[in-house]
Amino acid sequence: MIRNGAADILIVDDEPDICWALTHILKGMGIVPVTTTSGREALRLARSQRFALAFVDAKLPDLDGLDLARRIREGDAAVRIVLVSGYFYRDDAEVRQAMAAGLITDFVSKPIPHEEIQAIASGVVSR
Amino acid sequence: MKKISRRAPRPAGEAADSEAGRYKKLYSMLLDASPSSVLLIDSQMRVVSANRNFLEKAHRSEVETVGQRIDAVFPPAIAQQMDLTGLVRAAFEHNRPTRGERIAYRAPGLATRTYYYRLIPFSWQGAIEHVMLLLEDVTEQVRLGEENRRVERHLASVVESASDIVLSTTVDGRILTWNAAAERISGFTLSEVDTRTFFDLCAEPHRARARRGFETVKRGKGFGVAEWDLVTKSGALVPVSWVGSVMKNDRARVVAVVAVGRDLTERRKFEAHLLQSQKLAALGLLAGGIAHEIRNPLSIASSAAQFLSEEPEDPEFRRECTAKILTGIQRASRIIENLLHFARPAGQPDMVRVDLVRIVRDAAMLAATQAGIQQVNMEFELPDDPVLVSGVPGLLQQLFINLFLNALGAMPGGGSLRATLDRAGAEVRVRITDTGCGIPASEIERIFDPFYTTRPMGKGTGLGLSICYSIVRQHFGVIDGESVEGRGSTFTVKLPLLNEGVVGE
Repeated sequence: MIRNGAADILIVDDEPDICWALTHILKGMGIVPVTTTSGREALRLARSQRFALAFVDAKLPDLDGLDLARRIREGDAAVRIVLVSGYFYRDDAEVRQAMAAGLITDFVSKPIPHEEIQAIASGVVSR
Repeated sequence: MKKISRRAPRPAGEAADSEAGRYKKLYSMLLDASPSSVLLIDSQMRVVSANRNFLEKAHRSEVETVGQRIDAVFPPAIAQQMDLTGLVRAAFEHNRPTRGERIAYRAPGLATRTYYYRLIPFSWQGAIEHVMLLLEDVTEQVRLGEENRRVERHLASVVESASDIVLSTTVDGRILTWNAAAERISGFTLSEVDTRTFFDLCAEPHRARARRGFETVKRGKGFGVAEWDLVTKSGALVPVSWVGSVMKNDRARVVAVVAVGRDLTERRKFEAHLLQSQKLAALGLLAGGIAHEIRNPLSIASSAAQFLSEEPEDPEFRRECTAKILTGIQRASRIIENLLHFARPAGQPDMVRVDLVRIVRDAAMLAATQAGIQQVNMEFELPDDPVLVSGVPGLLQQLFINLFLNALGAMPGGGSLRATLDRAGAEVRVRITDTGCGIPASEIERIFDPFYTTRPMGKGTGLGLSICYSIVRQHFGVIDGESVEGRGSTFTVKLPLLNEGVVGE
């Protein structure tokens, strides 16, 4: 089920400790994700390797989260993108539109409930 | 003179006569040239001589006048009212001139005229020969005098009924006049202030400024507009906006200073409300960024707590989690603290020593949350050591937050915001530059007007820059904006540096 050593989950958040938290949640499931604090770096990573899942912070200093999602999606229609944000709410118009358009597959608000991350990740892992 | 010398010599008697004739001629010429009426009256109350002015005024010929009794020469109404014969008689008896008196007379069908008259006895070798009656028509002078007094009274009542303080001082600032409003606002009557100077009435922090304002007076210019607090009789401080102008005499020399002062108490209350509402509006704009900023450390703390609840075995990881919880909470509470600091009403707007570098840095910290979510890069060039000004910290923070938020508002699609702070002579200059949409040249004049806004309804109050302007003014500074549409704007705030030598001024 789990491709050993396969880092097919990407985490991008400008806050290193959010990356730390997400990494530990996934590690608990036996997954080692790829993390970055830069939107541009995330885009570069997404273009150089395939990810099954990407957790994307909605507000990055160098790139807007939804913009980043759109550009990752352009290169890979299959990747599941989860918007993680302390700025938006699940029922915000922008989030609902992005979900309806299939740009993002899910939304998790900060503070992050670990079980939501686990549920999303296990969906990818068990696929 | 040459003509006289060429005349043929005349006999001695004729010469004396001609000398007397010469004086008589001179005397009657002088009399006739006089704009007053002059009559000589003998002890029989008969007119001995009358000058041209009298004859003209009385419409009489010399023949009809000289030799006549005075009560036949004067209209009976005047003669009786003056008791002319009584006066002439008394002058003969006492050999003393009368005091000048006035009489009003209205000839039938004409307007009332006022005359000034005086009787002067003329004595020659111990005997009183005649009494001279001087009569002058002073109607016009009286009218002008009354007109002057009327204008004066009118102006005085304008000054008295003004709701603003109107006072005048000497060039050195000593109080000369003081209207009712000055008395009402200060509690001092004129007699209580007329030995004092204008500066004595100014509150301590503004006294030296007022004194400097009066320096320009000596150069012939008013001190313009200034806000100096007034100390009332009860010791309270009243904020007053003054306009000072100089009063010059006909030779353009400054003789007095006129100061008009408006009590700003009500306006200050209104401004305080306005400041607070604008601040709340600015907080609304900051809210998104702050939510994001607070929820990050909360999320980290929450995650660490969730890990701990699973009771992990690794003691190193447990310690790491605890540390993350503490740091997260500290970070969140620091943001809240900064926010509360800003949200709190300014309270007493007391001027204190303020480090402007710190103010700009704190304001930047609040604005950075918004910059972060807008992909705006913030760049600062601030000195390491404090730059001191005299100011109200809360207001200065509001000033810079407004300027930062405006800059961010101009860059919805990202950009860069640059703030520099440097000393330039006796001032400190803060420049805030954005790479935003800019302001059209046709509108740059209006940017400091209240309610000027380019933002859609609900996105801005249009009060930000007008409040910046009033805050800067209150700090004796200058603010100006330059902009190139489509390229960005630069706002420059200049404030006077605190001169440590005159901290208490």
